[in-house]
Amino acid sequence: MAREPKPPPPGRPPNWALGMDLGIRLGVSVAIGLGGGLLLDNWLGTIPLFTLIGMVLGIGAAMVTIWNVARNAMRR
Amino acid sequence: MAEEEGESLIHVAIEAEELFGIGPLSFTNSMVGALLTSVLLGLAAWYITRRSSLVPGRLQSAFELPVELMTGIISGSSSRWRGYASLILGFFLMILVANWIGLLPGVGTIGIAHIEDGHEVIVPIVRPASADLNFTLGLAIVAFVMFVYWGIKANGAGGYLKELVGEPRYMAPLMFPINLISEFSRLISLSMRLFGNVFAGEVLLATMIALAPILIPAVFLGLEVLFGFVQALVFALLAMTYIATAIAEHQTAGHDDDQGEADAAHADHPTAAEAAPV
Repeated sequence: MAREPKPPPPGRPPNWALGMDLGIRLGVSVAIGLGGGLLLDNWLGTIPLFTLIGMVLGIGAAMVTIWNVARNAMRR
Repeated sequence: MAEEEGESLIHVAIEAEELFGIGPLSFTNSMVGALLTSVLLGLAAWYITRRSSLVPGRLQSAFELPVELMTGIISGSSSRWRGYASLILGFFLMILVANWIGLLPGVGTIGIAHIEDGHEVIVPIVRPASADLNFTLGLAIVAFVMFVYWGIKANGAGGYLKELVGEPRYMAPLMFPINLISEFSRLISLSMRLFGNVFAGEVLLATMIALAPILIPAVFLGLEVLFGFVQALVFALLAMTYIATAIAEHQTAGHDDDQGEADAAHADHPTAAEAAPV
């Protein structure tokens, strides 16, 4: 009897890989925002204005990242 | 004396070490690792393409196995998979070989001795390329550029910018920098993860060899074989997902969310005509 053909492997990384990516990107997003703000502040001498703005934007980017990853994962 | 020996054994520099310089350019030991990886892959490709047969032998099967595994995964990612399959395969094989080269005897241990701060330090001649941030960042930049390229190719530069600006338009001053940071986090995430894991593995092995040179390091060597494979797979699959997502987003750019949900429901419950066996 012929064996049933295997279904094609899904074209997406396993959940643990997505989780690993998400975990690092959350931290990196905040670090980029904070680092960029610090650099701007040091350059313009406006401490702590851009550091705070950068931190808020970084946290916002982390939230957007969670949203995008979750939305793409649920689409599939 | 024993402490001094231990110190010299555990020495693992976080940055690649210079072997020689040509003018302002320095040639580092991780470059030797990257060259070795490229030469090995080139030789394997040359050998397999010259000696390949329809009924593969053991060696051909061993080379075809990772290629078939990855091609199977990539082909399910999007309808345009052929356009980026070679890139993803290249990432996977390059990182896999670069990671495993670090486990070969002599790599990281055979080197040139020189005196640094009164201590004798050995600069290894070969260092695994993926234990150097320059290499992993280079790969991540290529992945990032390709991801942006596919995004622009699918929807044009204006469409890509529209995605970055987001909806509604009056939120653009807030959403543009947020989306920009989110995009750049992919670049840093890809490079730092690979570098961090491989470098941590190198440090772990060096420490274990210094502490217990017999038997114990074999366990960690086995684990590093697995981690090397997993890290190569993760990098390649995430790069693939970024590209596939860019294409999928733009393919559905004309649809609103309701239409997207309707499409998803349709895929889950196909019509009788579609479900009928051919």
